[in-house]
Amino acid sequence: MRLEVEHLYVTLAGTDIVKDISLQVDNGQFVGIIGPNGCGKSTLLKSIYKVIKPKQGSVFLEERDVLKSNPKSISKKMGVVGQFNDLSFDFTVHEMVMMGRTPHKHAMESDNKEDYEIVHTALEKVDLLSYADRSYLTLSGGEKQRVILARAIAQQPKFLILDEPTNHLDIKYQLQILSIVKALKVGTLAALHDLSLAATYCDILYVVKDGKVVASGIPNEVLTKELIKRVYEIDCEIYANPVTGGMAIAYIPTDTAVRQSNERSKRSTFQHREGCKNSKKEERSVGETT
Amino acid sequence: MPPTHFDSILKKRSVFTMIILILSAAVVCSVILAVSIGQVSIPFMESYRILVYQLTGIPIGDIGELASGSQVDIIWHIRLPRVLLAMIAGSGLALCGTVMQASVQNPLADPYILGISSGASLGATFSIMIGFGAAGIIGGMGIAFWAFIGALGAAALVLVLASIGGKTSSVKLVLAGTVINALCSAFSNFIVYFAKDAEGIRSVTFWTMGSLASAKWDKLPLIAIVMLIAVLFLLFQSRIMNTMLMGDETAVTLGVNLHFYRRLYMIISSMITGVIVATCGIIGFVGLIVPHLVRSVVGSDHKRLLPVAVLASAIFLIWTDVLARTVIPNGELPIGIVTALFGAPMFMYMLMKKSYGFGGK
Repeated sequence: MRLEVEHLYVTLAGTDIVKDISLQVDNGQFVGIIGPNGCGKSTLLKSIYKVIKPKQGSVFLEERDVLKSNPKSISKKMGVVGQFNDLSFDFTVHEMVMMGRTPHKHAMESDNKEDYEIVHTALEKVDLLSYADRSYLTLSGGEKQRVILARAIAQQPKFLILDEPTNHLDIKYQLQILSIVKALKVGTLAALHDLSLAATYCDILYVVKDGKVVASGIPNEVLTKELIKRVYEIDCEIYANPVTGGMAIAYIPTDTAVRQSNERSKRSTFQHREGCKNSKKEERSVGETT
Repeated sequence: MPPTHFDSILKKRSVFTMIILILSAAVVCSVILAVSIGQVSIPFMESYRILVYQLTGIPIGDIGELASGSQVDIIWHIRLPRVLLAMIAGSGLALCGTVMQASVQNPLADPYILGISSGASLGATFSIMIGFGAAGIIGGMGIAFWAFIGALGAAALVLVLASIGGKTSSVKLVLAGTVINALCSAFSNFIVYFAKDAEGIRSVTFWTMGSLASAKWDKLPLIAIVMLIAVLFLLFQSRIMNTMLMGDETAVTLGVNLHFYRRLYMIISSMITGVIVATCGIIGFVGLIVPHLVRSVVGSDHKRLLPVAVLASAIFLIWTDVLARTVIPNGELPIGIVTALFGAPMFMYMLMKKSYGFGGK
């Protein structure tokens, strides 16, 4: 299905977070949104999947006006894999995935054989068939994320939204999750934070900074040294990966002293990461207070 | 299509049906047994004969003793309504607890902790002391009505208080509940403290500790009808309650508007709590512990959780009441004390157990 977002504005707690963003995802396309922490990626996605009400603008899924439709009719077409999936109550993996059938069911309807088959196929796709009876809360982060993906698959969506689905995951699971999604061949809009992964999986990239799209197009053309410097405020070198032939990015720390000392370089990366985490938290708290 | 585990699922379903049948049978057995236990010792066969005669008119043995006499009075007019009230109130409390835990996505929620019981109690106190509760059946309804208003008011206040300053979180809901609980109790105590009506004070004290002693046949229909409607309605809501536990955001992406359902469920829970508090006073902790115990056996899926919790809690309250009325010779404990004795340690255990957290996240 084709998604069309036009002139979207979102204001949270008096602050403009998304300022006039327009984007398109064509049928079967994998479109990525990248940008630094707090740039409005999550807020943009949340207003597309109806958790946040935008101030202005329109979102269309084919002919359907997403912002004016009720959640149930949208959830039959659109699946979402979010960032945080902690629960206070435990469910089995099978029960979790079965919840993906909710949009297609009346309140009084019980799960039929077809639902079980859909859940079975979804579990098979994420390679968790043998986990069906395991309790969700005992799973690792990567496994939990695959369960959530299976739940979205069980929704039989024609369109998928992923909000940093690979956050906190080992590289193996990052690749795995994105490959599974890519193999579904439905229109996908994903916020990603790893630029190399985004370059590998996305057909089209939108680069967002301060709530605005600053560049868009195919990854090879969009991701340049200059753009990364402008958006992420960091120097880098882009080269063709000698093994895969794909795009590779080497980041260069700003501090020259760091380059000289391995020991201090490690510490600096660590601090840099800490910094990221903090700003991530701020972004979250902004989202949660509204 | 790939081979599915549909057969094993069908098998699981039949195991579940068995559990329901066994529990239903256990409820019936508990009622019969509980009726024959009490301060006045009446042999089991005797009480069984009286029950059968009163219900079906079939006399077993000597008919003279079955139609009237002190034993008939005790069994038919005192114990049976009381045991039935315990059954209904028990299932109602567990139903409220389960629904509220889902509505606020917090395992620590129940009508008592969220301040709804206190609200109902304040309503009842108000109606008794200020004099809105007239005599007779209408009077009973009047108290129930005011208890419902109190419960609803408390629920609304909790929801409003928890949503101040942005998004409602489950921690805020529990904290708001604690505040409302304290506030309503204070107001009840205030009314009682300045009242000169000794009879009124006694009946208010009864409300705050909970007792099934006032059970009479004419009080049962109201609470039974409210409960029956609520149970039938909520049993079909399991799918929505399941998605509720996934959190607000996920629920929206699964097509459920939690805002609406949370309010609807709070109103229904307030209604049940109001009716229960009006007839039996505040019985704490039942709505908290029973859903947890049941969840640890059948899991969190409300399709299984709700019916099992309703049945198990009926059994639980029947036997707690038996304990309350037999443990002290020639007297009885308020049932709220007995349930708190069971409930408080359970609550402590849950707080200590790491996996529950305080609403996760």
